This record gives sequence, structure tokens and C-alpha cells, in this order.
Amino acid sequence: MKTVKNHFGVFAAVVLAVMMFVSIATAEEKSAVGLDGSTTVGPIGDAFAEVFMKSHNCSITVKKTGSGDGVAALIDGRCDIAMSSRFLKPEEFKKAVEKGIYPVAHTVAMDGVCIIVHPSNPVKELTGQQVCDIYMGKITNWKDLGGPDMPIVAISRDTSSGTYEVFHEKVLKKQNMAAGVEYVNANPQAYARVKTTPGAIGYVGLGFLDDNVKSLKIDGIMPTKQTIADGTYLVSRPLFLFTNGYPKLGSVIHAFCIFYLTEEGQSIIEAKGFVPMTNY
Amino acid sequence: MKLQEAVAPGIRMAKYSAQIAGKSKKAAAGFTRPLLLTPSEDMLGFLSGHLGRAALFLITATSVVAVFLIFYFVIRESAPFFFNKSFPAAMARIKEFFTDSGWYPAATEPRYGGLALIVGSLYVTLGSLILAVPLGLFAAIFLSDIAPFNLRQICKPVIEILAAIPSVAYGFFAVMVFAPWLQKSLGFSTGTNALNASVILAIMALPTIISVSEDAMSAIGRETREASYALGATRAETMVKVVIPAAHSGILAAVILGMMRAMGETMVVWMASGNAGRIPSPWWDLSQSIRTMTATIAGDMGETPKNSEHYYALFTVGLTLLLFTFSLNLVSEYLLGKVMKTSRGGK
Amino acid sequence: MRTQIRQSLDKMFTAFAGSVVLLIAGVLLVVLVPMFRKGLSAVFFTETVEFRKLQMDLHDRGDERTLKQELERVAAARKPIYDILLAFSRGLDMEPRVKEVKNIYQQYGEYLNYRNTPKEQYTECRKQAKEIRDTILDALESMDKQVVLANLDKALAQKGNPTFKDTPVQHFFTVAEQYRKTAQTVDLTKRSEYLAGLRDVTAAIRQLFGPLPGEDEPPLPMDQYGATRMDMARKALHTLLWDEQWIADGPGKPLVKKIIARKTQFTGTELEPLFDRVEKNFNALLLPRHRFYWQYFIDDWVNSHYFGGIGPEILGTLLLTVLSMLFAVPFGVVSAAYLVEYASDNIWIKIIRICINTLAGVPSIVYGLFGLAFFVITISAIGKPCILAASLTLSILVLPVIIRASEEAIRAVPQTYREASLALGAGKFRTLVKVILPAAGPGILTGIILSLSRAAGETAPILFTGVVAMGPIPNFGTPAEWVRNPASIFGGLFQPTRALSYGSYDIAVGDRISMLVPHQQFGMVMTLILLILVLNVTAIVIRSRLSKKLRGH
Repeated sequence: MKTVKNHFGVFAAVVLAVMMFVSIATAEEKSAVGLDGSTTVGPIGDAFAEVFMKSHNCSITVKKTGSGDGVAALIDGRCDIAMSSRFLKPEEFKKAVEKGIYPVAHTVAMDGVCIIVHPSNPVKELTGQQVCDIYMGKITNWKDLGGPDMPIVAISRDTSSGTYEVFHEKVLKKQNMAAGVEYVNANPQAYARVKTTPGAIGYVGLGFLDDNVKSLKIDGIMPTKQTIADGTYLVSRPLFLFTNGYPKLGSVIHAFCIFYLTEEGQSIIEAKGFVPMTNY
Repeated sequence: MKLQEAVAPGIRMAKYSAQIAGKSKKAAAGFTRPLLLTPSEDMLGFLSGHLGRAALFLITATSVVAVFLIFYFVIRESAPFFFNKSFPAAMARIKEFFTDSGWYPAATEPRYGGLALIVGSLYVTLGSLILAVPLGLFAAIFLSDIAPFNLRQICKPVIEILAAIPSVAYGFFAVMVFAPWLQKSLGFSTGTNALNASVILAIMALPTIISVSEDAMSAIGRETREASYALGATRAETMVKVVIPAAHSGILAAVILGMMRAMGETMVVWMASGNAGRIPSPWWDLSQSIRTMTATIAGDMGETPKNSEHYYALFTVGLTLLLFTFSLNLVSEYLLGKVMKTSRGGK
Repeated sequence: MRTQIRQSLDKMFTAFAGSVVLLIAGVLLVVLVPMFRKGLSAVFFTETVEFRKLQMDLHDRGDERTLKQELERVAAARKPIYDILLAFSRGLDMEPRVKEVKNIYQQYGEYLNYRNTPKEQYTECRKQAKEIRDTILDALESMDKQVVLANLDKALAQKGNPTFKDTPVQHFFTVAEQYRKTAQTVDLTKRSEYLAGLRDVTAAIRQLFGPLPGEDEPPLPMDQYGATRMDMARKALHTLLWDEQWIADGPGKPLVKKIIARKTQFTGTELEPLFDRVEKNFNALLLPRHRFYWQYFIDDWVNSHYFGGIGPEILGTLLLTVLSMLFAVPFGVVSAAYLVEYASDNIWIKIIRICINTLAGVPSIVYGLFGLAFFVITISAIGKPCILAASLTLSILVLPVIIRASEEAIRAVPQTYREASLALGAGKFRTLVKVILPAAGPGILTGIILSLSRAAGETAPILFTGVVAMGPIPNFGTPAEWVRNPASIFGGLFQPTRALSYGSYDIAVGDRISMLVPHQQFGMVMTLILLILVLNVTAIVIRSRLSKKLRGH
């Protein structure tokens, strides 16, 4: 019986066929650019990459694993551009210099971390201190804030996220969160949880606001493009792209890093819900 | 000339027959030679036989090599978590890992308290076993004793398909279909909680429990059952009082294998358990979110720089998980060994 | 206990056991059916003319002439709607007027410069013009009709001023007069409400039909086309016709959702007939048709899965699993053959068996950790997460499965085969290769197929060793390159790839955009499940045929 031999032959043929198909489908010389990092800046990176792959002949890989790993990947040389929703920490900077990497920051957009609740929640504004108390577990029911008698479900980004870092620094003043806070891995998850849970409170970037969640005024200021750009809103931050040294003029990386200054780049940034660096 | 002309056909004939003889010579050689090997052939056969065996043994031993490599690397990457300073510091670290329930690796003063994670894993595993073991036992009883042959042939594929569905698909179901349903109809404040994860893990552990228990119960043999029927017992009494106790080691092995499956599962708990690093505050409250060891590793690893403390801590969590499942594996193997002995007619 | 009680207990027991099995079958259906139902709508759905336009633009599919005719028909049907919308918004929009007024002021400044006016006169004229400008701006911004008319009258009082004769300031007065006319007819208090409602209506129209005529092309592909599927179009229609508002129910209680027809918000204005028009002519505006989008399995996605298919993910999964089989099958089959045929019952063999069982019990995430530590970091030839590292990790994962299945298959070969072969003079190795392995072939094949399905469904081992959510299709080079540099054929192995399993996770919890297209989410999971089910059913069929053959013997 030749069944086994035949089957192995079939296998080898399948593998070869697959590789042939793939090579025919993608047979071009391309330069490769790797992006890695924040899930907040991720949508901008995705959109820029899609536009770029069409106009320049290059292949761009975008991984969204969190600001921390993006910077670490840049330091290890595993990516060309790190997307980060926070600036480098001193240890990261030291490590980079040790390894001979000189990180250069390009600010592509501004973002605000908006506190969101379910639209059925009558609470319209909170103070920074109240939000801090909620996340530290001191306030546990909405009725203490003027809302309905519902337990507060506090939702946070996980600890290696840049959004978490900004929130942690500016709202919680670097104190630890309570044990009962639920952690989600990405902005869209936080948005989905708040959208479907009437008692939830969470924080997401400005780009994730829409009619299904309600954003609150913090300390009397509503997060809008204007208040974020001039820093009056409590939790506003710039979004960065880090490269190793200033990218060579004319390279794809350089074009990518200055894309946000073009009109097309700005309209993409606005379409994604962030605040462009100019002309707000 | 005439001589050559006369001889030429003969020579042609001779060449032709020599050709034929040459062709069959090789074939005939096997028959004409005596059935004895020359010393060189014998040596060649001996060497190639034994070398071949050794080569095959080495290939088979790759699984041993793989296991050793796995243990070595996981231990190697988790050692720096403990042994970076002095011995008392290392002991303090271990104590913190097993008793402190705050997992804050990225804070300014990191705390690596793994208790919440370990408790979370045990919580969902126990929850899933509470659901899966009774159901699995009854299903195994049905398949081994009650169902007629044709029905069994239909049920076995159903159970195999249940086992084959990937964990991502179960996680997807848990997050997109089950969690909203839990929130809407049972009024929980959050649909991604320990209950969600336990139910889905129970579904995933069921096929393992059913198949291993069924094997154990079939291994008992007909005599025991027939003896019980001969004494006037009903089928229910036979199953409950005779077969299950006789197969207890196999059933225990099945439970342990199910437990291993539930404990080692990553995607389902990552998506469906809420990832809140805390011990539920009334301990029986399943509607709260918890975090397991596997979800911590999967969630944190992508964002951790290599060779940082957080990285070593995650490997330590992996090591804990590995040791748990390895010891459970050994126990289940011992029990299954007992089952095999009974099926071969031992005990 | 009385016999009847025992017998009824027995019957209850049997019934309960049977119902448990039914429950399990029911659970299987509950898990699979929703995913298939929603996933199939990614492939079989009702499309609109926008979808055909998208396919033509991206992939050149479809008949160009018919598409052009359809687009013209649709444009004609949509024109009245756009006209209503534009007319209403022009009447209401203050921004162009404000800009115009500011422009006029600047023009006046330039006019004065051009005329070389002396400095004091320049400052004086500009000051007066500024006053007029500010009065008009106040009028434009105010909601109170009295205030508006008062301000406009104040500005128009300056009309006769000789300083401003034949200067750009005359434009101020034209604007003021025009606005005076509008202010007397339009109800200004409702202006902000109208504006907010108009914004939502325009957004809904854009979602339905794409960008308005005359607008710039939006940068993101998802905004460049209207609703491509009828179910999304119906959702957009719902947003157009109905408004959701959260109304207070009482102090200390959560807000209650109220749904109001938008038509009632715009009664008496020019916008009212728009809603009925859109609702009645819905089909003519979109030209729906049924479609079997089988290219879903080949196309790449566009704009974070908003459009397009899952081709690269399927390719990635195929590459990963086939490669892992290439590594695992030789080792697995040979090990199984050795364990059955050659192994004696000594301590080494016991250790090997324990290790195989241990491998089977290691959690998949620990495989991922090991793959990261060993294949990615320690083996510097690989050095980064890529297909090679991921398939090596997967191959160790499936090794125990292959060994177990092959062992069973080889053991199941009747002893008579071996004896007959040995009797004919074949050695042990030759027997193994030429008689036993072919006889165990179907069983081994079953094991290979089952481990294929297992490898295809695993996510945790490949998370850190080689999978990405967005990335290029692995590039294996062209045949021309292969001739030049044979090693480049393996270049593609050192790149990361997408996969169905990780993609399903990422799309379920990832982008906000993916939430808008649930059919894509379910489609990807459905494809994965379908692939695995097909493999498993094949394995079951082979195994049942095999068992029939063996029983027949």
C-alpha cells in the first residue's frame, strides 16, 4: 500500500504550492519598517501605514502591544519606530543610551484621557479628587456622587499601558489602585465594557468617544480639542513616535514621522478623534 | 571469411544468451548462492542494525530533551527573580509571591504578590470541576453502559467535536455571546467574571473527563457487572455501588486531567474573566472578576521589556503553573497505571 | 428498599444520564450556531451599490458599464435629498457668514493701506469699521430675535456714513440686510437644536451614501463609501430617522432612554420632507442585491477589517500548521515506531514515556514562554519572532499527539503481518518501513490531521513567538530571486505573520472599528471553526472506515 508515501507526497506538494502562491502574490522588493507600541497611538499608526503602503513601495508592520514594549523593542532594535502615549521613563532612557540608541521624540498628536460612564448615568461631572477616590476604592456607590443606587464598576487599563500611566500620574497622583478595579487590555475593551455596563466608569483616549458613552467634565472642564491642546483639561498628553536618532532625510521612516504635518496626515488624525498638532 | 560468416550467428547467439544469463544472473545469484552471509556482510548488518537502533532511540529521545529544555529555560528565566540579592532577600521575595495579593509590577515600587493570581486560577478550576465532574460522570455512564452501539457511535464524534473547538472560539463565545447574556438576564454588574470563565472551562474539560472515565469504566470488564446483576441489583445500583468504586482510580485520573486542562487554559480566561487582580471578597461570590496566572502571563508578556524584573516575575508565574500541572500529571499517570493493570487483568 | 422504588430510581437514573448527554449536545449547538449564523453573513449578504463600487475600485471586479449606469441612477435618486439638505444647512450655517464678516474687515484694512492713508485717519477708520464689525458679529451670534434686530439696525444706521462710501465696508451692510431678512423668518431660539440635529442627520446621510457631493475625499477608506451592506444601511437609516435621548427619570435614578422621531424635531422647516423621501425610496437609493462574497477568503482587509476579507490570516494559519507538521511528523512517527517495535521495557523507555505524557500536559502558555526563551532569544540565528519560531513551538506542542496516535495505529497492525513479512525473509527495519507503516497509514494520517487541527486552533504558543495583528503577507521572493540566491526562498520564514486564531482574539477585543462590523468578527471565528471541523470530520471518517476494514478482517 502506498498510502503513507502518497500522503507525504501530497503534503510536500501542498507546502510547495502554498509557498509558490504566496511568492507570486507578493513578488516585489520592498523595504520594511516595523512599528510597535501603544494601543492608543495604534489607530494612527495603522491608518498612516495603510496610506504609506499604497503610496510608497514599502511594507509596514504594526504591532500594538503597549507603550512599554514599544520602547523596549526600539531599545532592543526590534522595531524602527516606537509608538508611545507617554514620554520615556528615566530607566528606559538610561538603558537606551547604554545600548547606543538615542531616542528622538516626534509628537504626532495630542490626546486627552476622558473619563466615561454609561449614558444612562445622570452624573455629569466629577472632580479629580472624586475620580481618585473611586479608583482607590473609597467611593463605591454612585449614590454618593449624586447618581442612582448602583455599585461602581471601575475599569482601568492594565499596568503597562501608557494611558494607565498618564491616568495614574495625573489623577491618582501615583497611588495604587484598589484591588477591585477591573483591568482590560486595550482602549476598545474599556469602551466596550462601559458601553454595556450601566454602573461602569472607565477612561479612554479622546478618539474612542462617541454616542454610546458619556464623557464627564473633570474639575469643570469638558475634554474637547481646545481644552486638551491648551492643557486646561486635567488629563491631556502628547502622543509620541520615537525613533533611533533623527531618521535619515528621504527615508521612509522620515516620511512617516513627518506625515502628521501634512494635510492628509492631519485629517487622518482628526478622523481618528485626536487633536492634530497644528490648526486646531 | 566463410568461417567468420558461419561462426557469426553463433557468436551473436552466445552474446545474446550471455546477456539473458547476465540479466538473470543477478536474480539467480540470490538462489544459487548458499544462504550464508559473508563476514563483511554480517558485520555490516550488525553495525547498521545497532546504529540504526541507536539513531532511532536518539530521535525518540527528543521528547525527553524537549521536556528538559522546557524546564531548564523556564527555571533559568525565573531564577533572577529570586536570586538577585542575598539569600534572606530571596526568601522574602518567595514569601511575598505566595502570600501577598497585590500584583503591581509596573508601579514605582513594584510589588509581585502572586496570591491573587494563584487563587484566581484555583477558583475557576474548582468552579469548572464542580460543574464538569457530575455531568461528565453521568455522560460517561450513559456512553459506556446505557447507550446502544449506534447511539454511542453518534455521541462519540459529538464529544470529539466539543474537544476540538479551539479555545479562542470558546473565548470569543464567552465574550461576545455569553457575557452580554449574563449581564442582561441575570443582572450581574459585569458579564466577564469568574462564573463566565468557570462555565466555559467546564465545557472544555468535559470531553477529557468523559473519555477517560469511560475508558476506566470499560476496563472493569463484564464479569463484575454481571455478578452485580446476578445478585439482583438494578443498573443504577450497579453503576453507583459497584462500577464507580471499582473504577475510582480512573475516574480520579479523569478529574485530574480535566483539572489540568482547566488550569492551563489561557485564551478563555484572558477574554472572559475580567482580569481584576484580587481575591473575591465574599469568597463564594462568583460574579466578581478575577485574574488567573495564565491570563497574567499572556496579557503582560507582550509589553514587558526582556530581562527586566517584570519579565522574570512572569516566568516565575509560568514556573508555578508548570510545577502545579507537572505534579498533577504525575499523579494522574500513577492512577492511570493502576487502571491499565486492572484492564490487563491485574489487581 | 422496596423493589418498585429501586426500579423507579433506576429509571430516573437512566433518564438523567440521557438528559445529560442531550444537554451536552445542546451546549455544542448553543456555542456553534450563533457563530455560524452571524459568521455566514460575512459571506452571504445583501450588498448595495456602494459595495460594488468598492469592489471595482479596489479589485477591478464587476462590469464597469453597468456600474456606471447604476451610479448615475443612484445619483439622480439622491440629488433631491442632497438639495434639501444643502438648502437647509445654508440657511442655518453661521460660520461662513462670520468668516465673511471678518474677511471684509481685513479687506478694508488692506484697502486703506493701498490708498496710503495717513496714520491717524487709518486708525480712526479702522476703529469705526471694527465697531460695525463687532455689532454685526454680536447679531450673528445671538439667539434672541430682539437683540439680533437691534444690533442689525444699529449697524445699518452707519450705512449712510460718507467715510465708508465705495469701500469694502459696504459689504458689511449687504450681509446685515440679508441676515435681517432671514432673522425675521427663521426661529432663532431653536437654532442650536437645529444645528445639533443637522449634524447628526448629515452624519447619518454620509454613513448611508458616502461623502456629500462637493466635499473633499475623506482620508479613511471607511468614510469614502456609504453603507456597503443592507444591514448596516438599515442601522444608519435607523439613526437617521430616530434620535435617542437620555431623559431624567427622577432624582437619584438612572436616566431613561427615549426614542424620538427626528421628523418631529424639524417640523415646519425645509428639512422635514427629507426623512420620508429617504425612507420611501430606500431601495432605489441603494440598489440592493444578494451576493455570495466568496472572495472573503482571499482578500486582504481594508481599514482595520471594516471592509475586505481574511485571506492573509488563512494563509498565515496554513503556513504555520503545515510547517509545524513538517517538523513534528518525522520525529513523531519515528518515535512511535521505535517505542512499539524496538523498545524493551527498561528504565529509559519508562522515562521516555513519562516525558511524552508530561509534554502532553504542559499548558500552552508555558509552551509560549519556552518558545520565547529558547527559539527567539537563545537561538540567535532566528533572533526575532517569526514563522519559523512559531512553527517550531507548535511542533513541540503537537508532538505527543502524533506519537500517541501513531503508537496506537502501529500497535493495531495485526501481528500476522509482521510474522508473514519476517517469514518471507525481510529484516525488522524493512518490515517496519514496507509493511507496518503502510498498514498503519490511515491511523497515522488520522493522528496527523487531528494534530493539524490542534495546531491551527492554538493561540497561546504563537502569541510571543511570531504572530502579529497587522503586518505584510510573508514575502518568499520571486522565482527570479530563487535562481539568483537559493537561500532567499527561506527569507519569508523569518518574518512574522497573521493567523486566524490570534486574529479572532484581536478582532474580538481590539479596535473600536471592529465593533462596528460584527459580521467580520464572527466571520473570522467561523472560518477557524469551519477549518477545524472539516479536519476533524475527515479524521473521524477515515477512522470509521479503518475500523470497518479491521472488523471486516
